[in-house]
Amino acid sequence: MEFLVTIILLAIIVAVAVWLFIARQGDAEFEFLVGQRTPFMLVEENEKTATFSCKVPFINKGSQDGTIMDAYPRHLLPYEQFDGVEVNSRMELATAPRTDNYFEAVIIPIGTGGTVIVTVTFTAKAGNIKDALQNLYELSVDMPIDIVYQIVARTPWYIHKARMIMTCDEIVAAMQVHDTAEWEG
Amino acid sequence: MAELELKPVGTRILTDKDNIVDMIEKYTKEDIGPDDVVSVAESVVAITQGRVARPEDFKVCFLAKILCRFVPQKGSLSSVYGMQSLMDAEGKWRVLFAMIIGMLAKIVGKNGVFYELAGSHAALVDDVTGTMPPFDKCLVYGPHNANGVAEEIKRRLGCYGAAVADVNDLKRALVVGVSAGLDPKKLAHILIDNPFGNASQRTPIVIIKNYAAVERRTKNLLAAE
Repeated sequence: MEFLVTIILLAIIVAVAVWLFIARQGDAEFEFLVGQRTPFMLVEENEKTATFSCKVPFINKGSQDGTIMDAYPRHLLPYEQFDGVEVNSRMELATAPRTDNYFEAVIIPIGTGGTVIVTVTFTAKAGNIKDALQNLYELSVDMPIDIVYQIVARTPWYIHKARMIMTCDEIVAAMQVHDTAEWEG
Repeated sequence: MAELELKPVGTRILTDKDNIVDMIEKYTKEDIGPDDVVSVAESVVAITQGRVARPEDFKVCFLAKILCRFVPQKGSLSSVYGMQSLMDAEGKWRVLFAMIIGMLAKIVGKNGVFYELAGSHAALVDDVTGTMPPFDKCLVYGPHNANGVAEEIKRRLGCYGAAVADVNDLKRALVVGVSAGLDPKKLAHILIDNPFGNASQRTPIVIIKNYAAVERRTKNLLAAE
């Protein structure tokens, strides 16, 4: 009987020690700092399309290295709200630029981070893009963009979202800045 | 006088639709002589054998969640999926036993016991990010029958020999399969500077030119001395 009690006590002690070790070790914890993103800038424009981009920092504020397995932007502009443009969006690491909207899995060590570039292209369904975006502004339509990211670290993979809003004021302001720069240039 | 020369060979991205021996023949046939040894990256051999799995496809057991915590975080087995892949390949009780003995051995100052006991897969699995796109989101196992693959390459290409190697930029080289008559340790020493490069999926083949000629010359010199 004593032997059995000793075995059970030992098992409990080992289980508690392992639990404490894991709790103390922690895990990676990612955050996309959408509140610290740069304003959208107009990077390309022609009669039918306008392309904007902004930079969003992210950090691994956890206690372990972690891997961003995949990440992509999900823009939300339903036709019920605004039907004047088609939207495409993509995301890339600032340190590894690419235009195929493929996010190469990357290890982010503890306490470090990086920056992603979010690029949004509007294409006018009819007429020119300036008029379409002016219409978007007049209807006061803001477009949410979710940054969707898949993380794997010590624990099983999970998917999180961080939402930012691309406002119509920002879009028009970026167009105006671009037009002014072109006129002055 | 023939000198040893390492010649990396680029290919397109190879997948499980490719036969590794056919691909090596296609990309190197013109460059290979009877004194050469052909080496190929083990992860690419594994990929062509379909030994790839997405983390989403694993059913993770409780033991994998616990044991991965005891592997330093730079290792492929530190993730729950790396550990689960090892358990699937080698058996979870074997891995548990290896972990317990490995920990005890570490206490008395002996490192690497876990990897010796846990099976060959322990040192060969690549976690996510271990390979380049489109396999960066997958775990890649070690190749199956690496010696057989090396023999088949030698037979098809008529070269002196062939090897399947796992080499990285951290000066770690492990030859996991060779054709008969080759010394894996000697080949690992030759490949230690990682001539495959960082993105070994792009240059998965390295031809070791004049290997046999240099070996013959060395033997003659030693005999003369």
